[in-house]
Amino acid sequence: MYIYNELDQQLIEQRAEQFRDQVRRYLAGQIAEDEFRVLRLQNGLYIQRHAPMLRVAINYGLLSSQQLRALAEVSRKYDKSYAHFTTRQNVQFNWPALEQVPDILADLAKVQMHAIQTSGSCIRSVGSDHFAGVFADEIEDPRPWSEIIRQWAALHPEFAYLPRKFKIACTGSRSDRAATQVHDIGVHVVNNDAGEQGFEILVGGGLGRTPMIGKVIRDFLPRQELLAYLEAILRVYNLWGRRDNKYKARIKILVQSLGVEDFRNRVEAEWERIKGGELTLTDAYVDRIKADFQPPAYDANAAADTSYAEKLASERDFAVWIERNTVPHKVAGYRAVTLTLKDYLKAPGDLSDVQMDEVADLADRYNFGEVRTTHEQNMVFAHIKQADLYPLWQALGELGLARPVVGTINDMICCPGLDFCSLANAETLSVARQVQERFDDMDYLYDLGDLSLKMSGCINACAHHHVGHIGILGVDKNGESYYQFTLGGSAAEDASIGKVLGKSIPLAEVGDTLQKILDTYVEIRDEGERFLDTVRRVGNQPFKERVYAANH
Amino acid sequence: MPLIIDRQPAADTWVRVDSEEGLKQSGDLLVDFALWLEHADQLKARDGRLGVVIDGDSELDPLLSDLDRLALVAVAFPSFADGRGFSLARMLRQHHGFTGEIRAVGDVTWDRLRYMARCGINAYDVPAERYSDDMLSAFDEITVCYQGAEDDPRPIYRQS
Repeated sequence: MYIYNELDQQLIEQRAEQFRDQVRRYLAGQIAEDEFRVLRLQNGLYIQRHAPMLRVAINYGLLSSQQLRALAEVSRKYDKSYAHFTTRQNVQFNWPALEQVPDILADLAKVQMHAIQTSGSCIRSVGSDHFAGVFADEIEDPRPWSEIIRQWAALHPEFAYLPRKFKIACTGSRSDRAATQVHDIGVHVVNNDAGEQGFEILVGGGLGRTPMIGKVIRDFLPRQELLAYLEAILRVYNLWGRRDNKYKARIKILVQSLGVEDFRNRVEAEWERIKGGELTLTDAYVDRIKADFQPPAYDANAAADTSYAEKLASERDFAVWIERNTVPHKVAGYRAVTLTLKDYLKAPGDLSDVQMDEVADLADRYNFGEVRTTHEQNMVFAHIKQADLYPLWQALGELGLARPVVGTINDMICCPGLDFCSLANAETLSVARQVQERFDDMDYLYDLGDLSLKMSGCINACAHHHVGHIGILGVDKNGESYYQFTLGGSAAEDASIGKVLGKSIPLAEVGDTLQKILDTYVEIRDEGERFLDTVRRVGNQPFKERVYAANH
Repeated sequence: MPLIIDRQPAADTWVRVDSEEGLKQSGDLLVDFALWLEHADQLKARDGRLGVVIDGDSELDPLLSDLDRLALVAVAFPSFADGRGFSLARMLRQHHGFTGEIRAVGDVTWDRLRYMARCGINAYDVPAERYSDDMLSAFDEITVCYQGAEDDPRPIYRQS
């Protein structure tokens, strides 16, 4: 992973001290509330329902075991001994005291972590593929490019006061595991016809009140021009994005109102003026960053192990876990493992301090000291030797991180909702429990096949409900939590926005409603057809008829 | 209002003009963009230095050919959340080669000074109630710059 040099370290330490001074001046009454709000958000600090919430960046979802231990320590020292991992691969602490946040940031800086731009109307932390470096069909590891973008975006002087938040994700493969099409900018590593490597650039994806899929504004960008092109996009957005209405301030609305052609022309005109200049990436720089992302020292004899095959044959539960929660690795004798942060009846994405410490120990023992977070609120150990899979499975099982539910509705993505978030309109955690309790028959879940269920407690869509195969949006009706279903969304390379099924339903009926949707699917699916494909084939109507049948 | 120029407290020698009446004054005039558009020829013919106040809504094309006649461009920040002025300042320097004073006016406070400086703004008109000598330390709170900007065009990978 990226190794900080002296300057990188100096920057995050100075930033922590700068925030300490901002807190001091705020508490001394020298900064007004609304102005401090903007300053604290640029450091990931929200004021929430019960207490402040601090969001810490996990850039492109990559953590060292040492960093994970530091997060555990922060949760013990300043919080309630747990942390929440988010759909943008970051981590949140729900109970810090404002006065202690500067100390938390100083502690985190010691392990090269920070909260820079994890919130606010600025360029947020860069998302990436949690299986980077794992699959043979990858064009290139996207993480060095994500790091290059991170450095460019960090404390960018021109783009700290944008019309609205700005999210970038980068992938290096045709398969999209970073939801790039619903980001403000999606950066895809591609090869052109001449065999040169560069980027395809998408702009204007996003969820929230007006969900949209990003549009390609450049098929091929020479790699050394990446930052100049991003700067051109951000400048056009900063100058022309709407500032009069926060619901119309994202870049997707600008792209929509100008039209893709006009928007592209403005970006290209700006790029013409700056391209080939100082922002042009140097080979020395790119090579230096890439050197930090070299593959780990794999065991060349990993595939020779026979214990794995024996355990697969003799232990059905282990075999099921391998089938659901692991994927083959391009290196023979290795697999990549998903740790499900969806323990039975626990809040999705939450880990206790003990779990964090234990996961860090397991990462050291089995995974070259590396941990990744995913936008599905899970973690990944990307390089597990097959002989280690069985003992790892046992250890994860004891930690409650081995439920074999990846890709099922029990692997639900869920925001914290009304229990914690001051923006939320409805409960989410109790609904997640309701779903888990009702759908706990694994054979049934496996029969349903790949099915993503995403639930947000408000229209801000932190859980990306629009791009769930099934999406659930919590709404408030006269103080009661109600839920609106959408069907047919996808965050992958075949991205689409789900369509609303019908009027929202009350909390107690979420499980029943889900059951009716699933029953309908099972009845009408073609052989081997995914839920998503069935919905795309038949539309919402058959589901709608069942859910809103007259007995209601 | 207190003024900072090139990181030092400074006296303001400019007269701000926002009505036609004011155009008759002598001395260095800082005029609103709309007045400039209407009276550019008359203003260019007078003695004394000229400055124009622009903001994110100003359509700058008519101004650009006269930039070399201006000693000062004031960029208005109507609120601390409005970041268009950062791009305006950079484009004046980077694209239009403006070398005169660029002055931030409006909601100009401590926590934006460094970003403003990096974007090519070298003067800051700070509301009196928000001014303190301490705020001059804002420029040096962070000394590492990943990006090239108007203070130093070299990004981190060209700095060594």
